[in-house]
Amino acid sequence: MIAGRKRVLDVLVWVGIGIVFLVVLFPPFMLFLTSIKTNVDALKYPPVWIFRPVASNYREIFRLIPFGHYLFNSLIVALVSTFIALSVGSLAAYGLARFRFKRSKDLSFWILSIRMTPPVAAAIPIFIIMRTLHLLDTYLALILAYCTFNIPFSVWLLRGFFQEIPREIEESAMVDGCSPFAAFWKISIPLIAPGIAATGIFTFIFSWNEFLFALILTGSRAQTVPVALTGFIRETGIMWSHMAAAGVLAMVPMVVFTALVQKNLVKGLTMGAIK
Amino acid sequence: MFKKKKWAPFFFIAPAVIILLLLVIFPLVYSLGVSFTNWNIVRGGKWKFVGLGNYAYIFLKDPYFRTSLKVTLIYVISVVALETILGLIVAMLLNRPMRKIGLLRTALVLPTTMTPVVVGIIWRLLYNPELGTLNYFLELFGFQPLNWLGDPSTALPSVIVADVWEWTPFMALILLAGLQSLPHDPFEAALVDGASSFQIFRYVTFPLLLPTLIVAVLLRTMDAFKTFDLIFVLTKGGPGMSTEVLSYYTYRYGFKFFHIGRASAYSYVLLIIVIAITQLLLRFIREGEER
Repeated sequence: MIAGRKRVLDVLVWVGIGIVFLVVLFPPFMLFLTSIKTNVDALKYPPVWIFRPVASNYREIFRLIPFGHYLFNSLIVALVSTFIALSVGSLAAYGLARFRFKRSKDLSFWILSIRMTPPVAAAIPIFIIMRTLHLLDTYLALILAYCTFNIPFSVWLLRGFFQEIPREIEESAMVDGCSPFAAFWKISIPLIAPGIAATGIFTFIFSWNEFLFALILTGSRAQTVPVALTGFIRETGIMWSHMAAAGVLAMVPMVVFTALVQKNLVKGLTMGAIK
Repeated sequence: MFKKKKWAPFFFIAPAVIILLLLVIFPLVYSLGVSFTNWNIVRGGKWKFVGLGNYAYIFLKDPYFRTSLKVTLIYVISVVALETILGLIVAMLLNRPMRKIGLLRTALVLPTTMTPVVVGIIWRLLYNPELGTLNYFLELFGFQPLNWLGDPSTALPSVIVADVWEWTPFMALILLAGLQSLPHDPFEAALVDGASSFQIFRYVTFPLLLPTLIVAVLLRTMDAFKTFDLIFVLTKGGPGMSTEVLSYYTYRYGFKFFHIGRASAYSYVLLIIVIAITQLLLRFIREGEER
């Protein structure tokens, strides 16, 4: 009797899990489907489910707009911003994890609170400053803007990784005559290499996905993929199949990266606030 | 050993602090100054100091501020409430020994790490009244098709649904991690005492999970206040003011009307709201850290 009820419950749970994954995966599946339809098929109603798939949309987006250029821009900006966030961030994270000084805790929370600033509040002054410095529509403007959220994130996440290594390891190195920086560089950094990789992937994802700064700070030259995607929405209508193809291309690297960090996913998404 | 060299902490921390001072604090102080002026960049460089004029306008005269604040609050409260409840249900469903959990987790988190603009595009496609799949299903089951994003009464709920789709997995993942780190003993004791599943949830799981739940809710609340991409792609604040959240309204003031002075004041109002919530969050995290 009890075993029977348990089996019913089990079936219900699996049905529930099935529904969850259906709901999660159906929308992106529709995007993919639209991306391999011809424009004629994409605009049919009721939607056609059986059709001849085409790859032409993926080719055409590189011809219709300089999509390759936008991909390159996104890549450069995300890579450089990630590099800065990791180098500056790992130093600060180590300093905050290892040294106790007056107000070190307040400093940690100050850095964390920067990450909480609504981007639109920072966007207005950053726009004016970049305009004054004639940096609008350059990589530098975006890279600097992305540092505002990537540095606090990497400090906070890397601090957690540094705290996990026992400080005795570094102390013994320093007893042997290592300077604090040498202990940091030769001992601690190699030990948290996986943490640095995970942090880097997260900052890359954030930079790749960022929209507001990219929208206001760039024009045609430094435009990134998310802004370029909205370019398919035109007064005359939306180029659905092309936009879908570009959307799939923007999404694929993030799916791969997410799979890579999935062990550290919760830690990263919450900046280590929940263990 | 770590205390001897006094310069060491500054050497490590200074670069980050200097960059953040230049990139965040200086601009924010600058825009606080700008928020006391009537600077409009299309009128050229001319501006006048107006004191608290912009703030007085926002709170006393602006007919749209209250509407936007109301839309924002409805939006934030709805998405956080729905995402918490659904996230908890999903986390409970997945909280069992499973092979391939990594693969499932990657699939589940797809909406959360997907480029937000792409999320907007996907939902615009689904909601489209002429070719959208949602109306197709509605008609299939005998309902009237809806003009989801085009009708002021359904636009906000439609954007909320998209946000719930995007962020429920985030909530579920955090709560799942929380569930999996709970100690076993209280559950065994409850089972021995013959507690029902509901009683176990109500008196054991829920109280133990509460700290995680609070942090997750606060993180999500702060993010929900910032929602911009989804609104930009789905509705641009319309139709009318029906989806005009504060972050979008501020953006419009700054980058459509170029009224930088007033936009800065708006951004400070938004900033203060978010800081108030952040303080709450930090207090919870700090208490958690000290334990």
